[in-house]
Amino acid sequence: MIQVDQLTAERGDFFLGPIDLDLKEGSYLTILGPSGSGKTLLLETCMGLLEPRSGKIHLDGKEVTNLAPEKREISYLPQDLALFPHLDVRANILFGAKQRKLDDKLSLSRLSDLIDLLDLHSIIDRHDVTTLSGGEKQRVALARALLPGPRLLFLDEPFSALDATIKRQLQVKLRQINRELGVTILHVTHDQEEAFMLGEQIAVMIDGQLRQIGTRDDIYYRPQSLDVARFLRNQNIYEMDLTNIDQDGFLQLENGITLKAPACQGVQVGDRIAAVIRAEEVVIIRPNKPIGPELQDNLFHGTLKDILAFGGTHTLTVRIANSGVNIDVELPNCAMRDFGFNIGDKLQICLRQRSLWTIKMDTVEREENDVAI
Amino acid sequence: MLKRDSTFKVIMLLPLVFLTGYFLILVGSQSAFFSLDNFLEQLGQQDIRSAITLSLIAATASTVIAIILAIPTAYALARIEFPGKRLLDTFIDLPMVLTPIALGTLILMSWNSAIGRLFSDIGLTLPFTLAGVILAQFTVIVAISVRMLKASFEQVDRRQEQVARLLGCTAFSSFLQITLPLAKRGILAAIILTWARAIGEFGATVMVAGTAKGQTATLPSSIYLAMSMADLPRAVTLVVILISISLLVLFGVRMVTESKK
Repeated sequence: MIQVDQLTAERGDFFLGPIDLDLKEGSYLTILGPSGSGKTLLLETCMGLLEPRSGKIHLDGKEVTNLAPEKREISYLPQDLALFPHLDVRANILFGAKQRKLDDKLSLSRLSDLIDLLDLHSIIDRHDVTTLSGGEKQRVALARALLPGPRLLFLDEPFSALDATIKRQLQVKLRQINRELGVTILHVTHDQEEAFMLGEQIAVMIDGQLRQIGTRDDIYYRPQSLDVARFLRNQNIYEMDLTNIDQDGFLQLENGITLKAPACQGVQVGDRIAAVIRAEEVVIIRPNKPIGPELQDNLFHGTLKDILAFGGTHTLTVRIANSGVNIDVELPNCAMRDFGFNIGDKLQICLRQRSLWTIKMDTVEREENDVAI
Repeated sequence: MLKRDSTFKVIMLLPLVFLTGYFLILVGSQSAFFSLDNFLEQLGQQDIRSAITLSLIAATASTVIAIILAIPTAYALARIEFPGKRLLDTFIDLPMVLTPIALGTLILMSWNSAIGRLFSDIGLTLPFTLAGVILAQFTVIVAISVRMLKASFEQVDRRQEQVARLLGCTAFSSFLQITLPLAKRGILAAIILTWARAIGEFGATVMVAGTAKGQTATLPSSIYLAMSMADLPRAVTLVVILISISLLVLFGVRMVTESKK
């Protein structure tokens, strides 16, 4: 569908790329990254609004790198929506049909379908688009983008200004549009929940580069670099020394505590390794209960140092005994009520091998980490 | 209403009271020289009617030419990146900082250059002609038009133009269908204010086209002529006409800008 090869672009002193991307027909890719990481710049370059410095863009196998934006047939929903204030709701939605000289009958039929799909019945005859609420504007802008019948839809943080309920309703609509209308979607966002909920594939963009592309589980549980792990709010990242590699391939890591962790590629004894485990993957061992076979390794006694309460979860900070190591543990409210923990309580935790992830630290990351520490 | 922050409000209101009083004195003091009979009699005179007609025609023509050139110029300065843009942007402002007398001198001198002589050879002369009046007014007002229109185009959200492109508009069609309608009020305000500046233009017009009665004497230059001959009733009549036209224009601007809200 859309293929991006070694694409680079610049705006001021910010450099994007080189970016390689291959988006298949009917797929939904979310590009997740912090503000200022170059997500919008990438979209603008792919849409032809910004000239690339180098690289190529292909649409359906045809090179479009230097093609005018209107000839690429990509629909776009920007963050600020950019509704046309001098046109009424209906004229806004039909704007693309008029420009692309679509048959009137087809345009009106699509308009009718979109009114049903996006529930526009109560606002379709409104004259002043500036009086619409945030959610209404969003639906009108989405209808305007969809009416020309695009095969490719680019979304740039489209829900960032909406409240949670309306955001969720529109996110569900987007999945429906992707699945039922077969529209290929490239959606950029800084919202991790949104990226994981919507994207079949997720790409993480940091400092103008795509650091990792993969499935939800790849990105969530198996970050390929420390900056991806940090951006995905992995609270438990430990820089350790690789002291031994078992015959079965497991790594023995030491730095205050000793961990048995799954291998990562190209490591040897003496390397610095980052061991990562998500807070919700840490297991709390119930006292006086038998410990299952997969919980026999990486068992630690500790003291509860702090408890942070969130809406539906609690984050517990556990100081491992005889070490300076703190481990964050996330518990759902129901489990927290069962345990009835208080600060200062003694407890036993397990960092399951299958929940641990290891990243070989390169020189740059080590230096950055040293500075951060 | 004045109770809260009263000292601050009084400090801010006092200059407004002073300015209003000052302008009322300026206008009111003409009443000694003004009578309706005289006003109607002066209006009936051929040279005054000619000055009014010439002023309206020249101001309208120079405004039309200035706006036609200023719209693409202002858009280019607002939206298109090119080498030397900052230099050109500053250069275009030159007529705004030069006194009109100096501008008139520049126009006359340039008419003695090779290009100027070329125009003269094909019959386009400036002294004592309508063309001279229009060119002088155009030179004075075009920079103001560019500056105002550039500000209007900069206020149009670039994202709206980009979305229009992706919905199928060419660059030109996006300009016509999105940029111009969204900058409409700014363009109208620019037209009204540049026209007002043109109809009141004196220095450059006198330098280039002179003040021949019935030929190139505009309302401002007719006021100057009347005052130089100590014909006060005539001068006041012309001032009243100019004030009436100016007030109409200012109310027009106020209506345009307030309906924007």
